[in-house]
Amino acid sequence: MNKMSKTLSLIKREFKTRVLTKGFWISTILMPVILIGIIFMPALFQLYSEDKPTVVQVIDRSGDLSGEISGIFNDTLSNGQPRYLVTPLNSEIYEADKEIFHRAIEEGATDALLIIPEDILEQGEITAITASLGQGDFLRLAQQRISAAANKIRLQRAGLDPGEIENLTRRIGLKTVQISGGKESEKGFDEVWTVTFTFLMILYTTIIVYGAAVMRGVLEEKTSRILEVLLSSGNSFQLMMGKLFGVGSVGLAQYLVWGVLGLLVFGYAAVSAPHLLNYVAISPLTFVYFILFFLIGYFQFSVLYAAVGAMCSSQEDAQAVSVPVTLLVVIPFVISISLGLSDASSTLTRVLSLLPFFAPMLMFLRIQLSNPALWEIGAAVLLNVLAIFALTWLAAKIYRVGVLSYGKRPTLPEILRWLRYR
Amino acid sequence: MNTVVAENISKSFNSFRAVDSVSLAIRPGSVFGLLGPNGAGKTTTMRMIVNIILPDSGSIHLFGEPFREEHKNRIGYLPEERGLYPKMKVIDHLQFLGEMKGIEPGEAQKQALQWLERFELADRAQKKVQELSKGLQQKVQFIATIIHAPELLIVDEPFSGLDPLNTKFLKDILLGLKQAGKTIILSTHLMEQAEKLCDEICLINKGKAVLQGNLREIKRRYGHNMVNVEYSGNAEFLRGLPPVKSINDYGNSMEIRLHDGAAPGELFKLLAAGNLEVRRFETAETPLNEIFIDVVEKS
Repeated sequence: MNKMSKTLSLIKREFKTRVLTKGFWISTILMPVILIGIIFMPALFQLYSEDKPTVVQVIDRSGDLSGEISGIFNDTLSNGQPRYLVTPLNSEIYEADKEIFHRAIEEGATDALLIIPEDILEQGEITAITASLGQGDFLRLAQQRISAAANKIRLQRAGLDPGEIENLTRRIGLKTVQISGGKESEKGFDEVWTVTFTFLMILYTTIIVYGAAVMRGVLEEKTSRILEVLLSSGNSFQLMMGKLFGVGSVGLAQYLVWGVLGLLVFGYAAVSAPHLLNYVAISPLTFVYFILFFLIGYFQFSVLYAAVGAMCSSQEDAQAVSVPVTLLVVIPFVISISLGLSDASSTLTRVLSLLPFFAPMLMFLRIQLSNPALWEIGAAVLLNVLAIFALTWLAAKIYRVGVLSYGKRPTLPEILRWLRYR
Repeated sequence: MNTVVAENISKSFNSFRAVDSVSLAIRPGSVFGLLGPNGAGKTTTMRMIVNIILPDSGSIHLFGEPFREEHKNRIGYLPEERGLYPKMKVIDHLQFLGEMKGIEPGEAQKQALQWLERFELADRAQKKVQELSKGLQQKVQFIATIIHAPELLIVDEPFSGLDPLNTKFLKDILLGLKQAGKTIILSTHLMEQAEKLCDEICLINKGKAVLQGNLREIKRRYGHNMVNVEYSGNAEFLRGLPPVKSINDYGNSMEIRLHDGAAPGELFKLLAAGNLEVRRFETAETPLNEIFIDVVEKS
């Protein structure tokens, strides 16, 4: 048997001992559940909070809007009840005993108190009194609608016909069309973003989880002293590669399980509720890029995690030393999300999306949202594959010396010295 | 052709010189003892022979050629700190380590089962390693070391931490392998064990080889200047008398080391004159322990 087959034996062992555990299957099932939870939690909360109408009191000191107020808050809840309970309040009564009304707000009997000033039509600013700033959604809505109502009255006073005003002030809708590969697709940003965010979340989580698994694996072999036996059979590079590819193959197996589950759900949906499919129309190319960038990201980060595992002798040390590596995953993830939401085609995004550590998540995000040139994707892949080779070379040097060093964690100068060892 | 030839190998860790210009030549079929106190450089020397670490300087030849990765398949190595994957099944574990020594998976499994049978562990084959007692885990570790029928066996402090049963067990394995013509390198800081097992030895102290050669010859060179005495009475007066170099007194018996050239007869006269009741008086070879202390003190 040749050298390659020892690495294969290591990969086989790694795969078997990890996939044939309850933990693997539990996490494989739990992960989508948690992910769906994270993505749909805000919507769920909203759904839940909609059950209770928002109680609003309005003081109209101008007297101009009184006729409009009840009309502009006429939304209904999912159960058909009005969403907002709006009651007018006399300004004098309020002024006479503010305390009572303020206490009602603090105790939650009233959700918000809106005060419309006398000069609302001239310049005005409405005042909202509320106990929690969590009413943000409502307040934004109130501001929008009251100012629209005020505009209407202004226009009326300028002599315009009510029907004309209706026409002139009609809100403009927004329909987004994404051009990709010469084809136009009519998808809202929200839908694309939800899909992209889901994939990013999976990418980020699996890179962290499997990177940490590599680190723990190396550390366990070191502390259980099995490594010295392995080193008398194969060399340190084979061992490191066996670990990386072995754990990586477990990651791919997990994707495969999710893929099959996803197809089943998709198939079921296609039969029972075809109209829902519009929401989850994901191009197969997305999956190809997803796997590609998972592999790039996984290898970049996990070689570093392998080096961390090799240089430490205890879980506590490893926890501390792995922080910089974990930050290298977290920071690009956070940046990806904020750039994705603000401007996925800015120069900053374009540059960062080529760089090692950033590319796996950011280039994937750009492919989803802003259609980068093919050469950019190629450049990112090339640069990042080169980075993997460089990092592997570096990590192998640390690994080789590290796995036989026990005791206190090495200092940076010591690690630099390791790099020069024969 | 020697199985292992090391020439002037040295290894430093930071500023600490763990092994300092050590040269070894190990004959095929011999049991070679690497002896010395803890921290003398035995483990580092062994790791260099297995090519787990590379010497800073000097050269090592295995089986007559410079090291090649394939040589590892012909070596069985039992490190001082034992280790197995606790969650793996015994049979899977042995098969895996066999594969790592270049045996085909099917053959590795067959070998593993045969060895488990021989060590009366066949019924534990499907158990996880962590479910086995410590003694049984050690047996599994021995099997892992020899499953690929290595020509060269390198065992680091093989008897440390073993109960008497496993000590005998391992000793019998080593003896069997020796009779089958395998070469064995063992390290130990227990000199009595080395005396019983080794054909040739190398004494290492502070990274330097201070004495090496054929054990019989070394012992002959150091001669019979050891006397064992069983007695009653007070033997304190013997200390400092001309022929006596050192005394190891146990109360009822003592080991007396004589100066080079001193005759045991002189000691006998002194004992008689000292009014001690002597029940037994015998001369013996100088034990390795004494030789070692001697050499270290001189160097």
